[in-house]
Amino acid sequence: MRRAGSEATAARAAASAASPTLRLRDVVKSYPMGAETVHALNGVSLDVVKNEYVAIMGPSGSGKSTLRNIIGCLDVPTAGGYTLEGQTVAAMTETQLAEIRNKRIGFVFQTFNLLPRADIFHNVELPLIYAGISRGERRQRAERALERVGLADRMKHRPNELSGGQRQRVAIARALVHNPSIILADEPTGNLDTKTGDSIMEMLDQLHGAGQTIILVTHEEYIAAHAWRTVRLRDGLIESDLPTGRSGDAGAHSMEHLGAGSAAPAAVGAFAG
Amino acid sequence: MRPAYELVESFQIALQALRANKARGALTTLGIIIGIVAVVVTMTAVNGLQNKFRESFSSIGTDVIYVSRMPWVVMDDFFLYRNRPKIDLREAHALEDAMRGRAIVNPSIEGRHDVKHGPETMEGVSVIGTTEKQGRISSAQPEAGRFLTGFDVSSKKNVCVIGSEVRTGLFKGADPLNKTIKVGRSMFRVVGVMEKQGGSFMEGPNFDRQVFIPIGAYVKSYGGHRGERDVNIAIKAPVQERMADLEYEVIGEMRKIRRLRPAEPDNFSLNKLDTLVGTFNSVMGIVLLVGLMVTSISLFVGAVGVMNIMFVSVTERTREIGIRKAIGATRRSILFQFLFESSAICLLGGAIGIVLAAIVTAVINAVVMPASISLPILFVAVVVSIAVGVLAGVAPAYRGARLDPIESLRYE
Repeated sequence: MRRAGSEATAARAAASAASPTLRLRDVVKSYPMGAETVHALNGVSLDVVKNEYVAIMGPSGSGKSTLRNIIGCLDVPTAGGYTLEGQTVAAMTETQLAEIRNKRIGFVFQTFNLLPRADIFHNVELPLIYAGISRGERRQRAERALERVGLADRMKHRPNELSGGQRQRVAIARALVHNPSIILADEPTGNLDTKTGDSIMEMLDQLHGAGQTIILVTHEEYIAAHAWRTVRLRDGLIESDLPTGRSGDAGAHSMEHLGAGSAAPAAVGAFAG
Repeated sequence: MRPAYELVESFQIALQALRANKARGALTTLGIIIGIVAVVVTMTAVNGLQNKFRESFSSIGTDVIYVSRMPWVVMDDFFLYRNRPKIDLREAHALEDAMRGRAIVNPSIEGRHDVKHGPETMEGVSVIGTTEKQGRISSAQPEAGRFLTGFDVSSKKNVCVIGSEVRTGLFKGADPLNKTIKVGRSMFRVVGVMEKQGGSFMEGPNFDRQVFIPIGAYVKSYGGHRGERDVNIAIKAPVQERMADLEYEVIGEMRKIRRLRPAEPDNFSLNKLDTLVGTFNSVMGIVLLVGLMVTSISLFVGAVGVMNIMFVSVTERTREIGIRKAIGATRRSILFQFLFESSAICLLGGAIGIVLAAIVTAVINAVVMPASISLPILFVAVVVSIAVGVLAGVAPAYRGARLDPIESLRYE
């Protein structure tokens, strides 16, 4: 199974004729637990190329969260290699990891994780502050990101004045503000009702259509179905790595969404460019 | 460029945190306020004592040596000095002769006597038998009338010059010149009033509560020609630079006059304002040190309070730290966030403390002694506040900065 996955990845990498955005090689993550050592990941290899839309699935205990943490540079592998856009993450210092998280990863969490005391604008602007970007440019970019998610009129509101769906859109805007290599969405609809969840997924689909690389961590089949490729984990290993069948109508799909999307496709295009 | 925005953000978070927890912040600053008030008031009080001291002794010139039986400040065993022979008038005159042409020498005898005028009596006023040269040795000048003249002294006239406190004590508002007062058992005519000096310093000599009379008149009225009264000899150096040489010369002449053998120790003492000031300053240094040590304890208690609250603040914000780290905050920026918060608490406490200390100082100034918060004291207070804030914040801030982002994001 693992070999099959690798082959599929390799094939895709060759097809896209580009070095992968993300490359994991035999990643092992183990934690000491009492006298024993628990292996959360047992040698995971995975390539994700630009503009891929990958769902990472697996039951609890499969190593899904650990993989998310490593991809998101919140954690480093015990062994194995991880390169993100050609940069070797595995050997980075805490400060360098912070910079990667800041510029290259756009997190979207199940629980939104907005700062409750800061207004929407400040929440979206925050990654730019940590990147040392000037006030004027921060304003411009944060406003553009909020326009993309259709919340430009809520900038002065606090998160608790917004609905769950709106909050998640703020989180997406925050993830987008730095034009990251990857959007890493961890159960983005987990705290939302079905209808709102669908609209969030639709938004992710649109971003993908506009060229964004997205990694979706979920245990819901219907959420994973939005992706073009599904990586299934079990016991710290990749069980399967298969296309979902959506990739076939890639062009039509993204065109359709760009046309029908409610969140200003023109702005999406401009941002991607 | 990069750190600047981070720091601004850290600072804003710190202010926000303070605004969000007003009551808690206020209670925490209380410890710092008390500490800063204590430290500032200690410093201003010591400063005030020094001012008062300087004011009180301002009439003693720094270029004057006093030869006396006892040192002004006895730091070691008093019994080493008590058997010394008194300095008598004969010795004083001999020294005067020996030093002629080299320095101004003025002998004086001091005693405590009651002075009376009409219904008013002042008890235990310092009566000083002196010469006209007193006016050249001390910087104190008569405010009305004149000082003793050479003729007053040589003819041992019963005239006197009174200090400003004696004037108010005996005459209230009336003009004392040419009035006769009773000093001890003898009558003296007032020929001059001295200008006001600094008043008494901590029960020390009060240069405003003095009566100057010719030294011969003193001996005539109260005795002293047979050496039963101790004579003080003031010697003024012609130029300040000659002070050190002058001391050796005076010691040498006095030893000759007293016929001391080379192996014998001096049985007289040389006193200077400098030694007095030096002794006073070292005593004040100790007072300041002890005072600051004691007050530091209150500041320390305040700092522990701040540290405690900062640990609470870090724990409360665990999830926020996780979020910030996930979107790119470095350890440094988290560290600064909490250091700013604790410094802001302490600086706020310090500012309030300084205001309260200024009020306390104003009261001290009005009631006890001249005291004011000087710029250096203000500077020290501000620096101490910030330092306490940083020190109290380091451990909590470091803990916050080191938090694992994954764990923090899971924290509820």
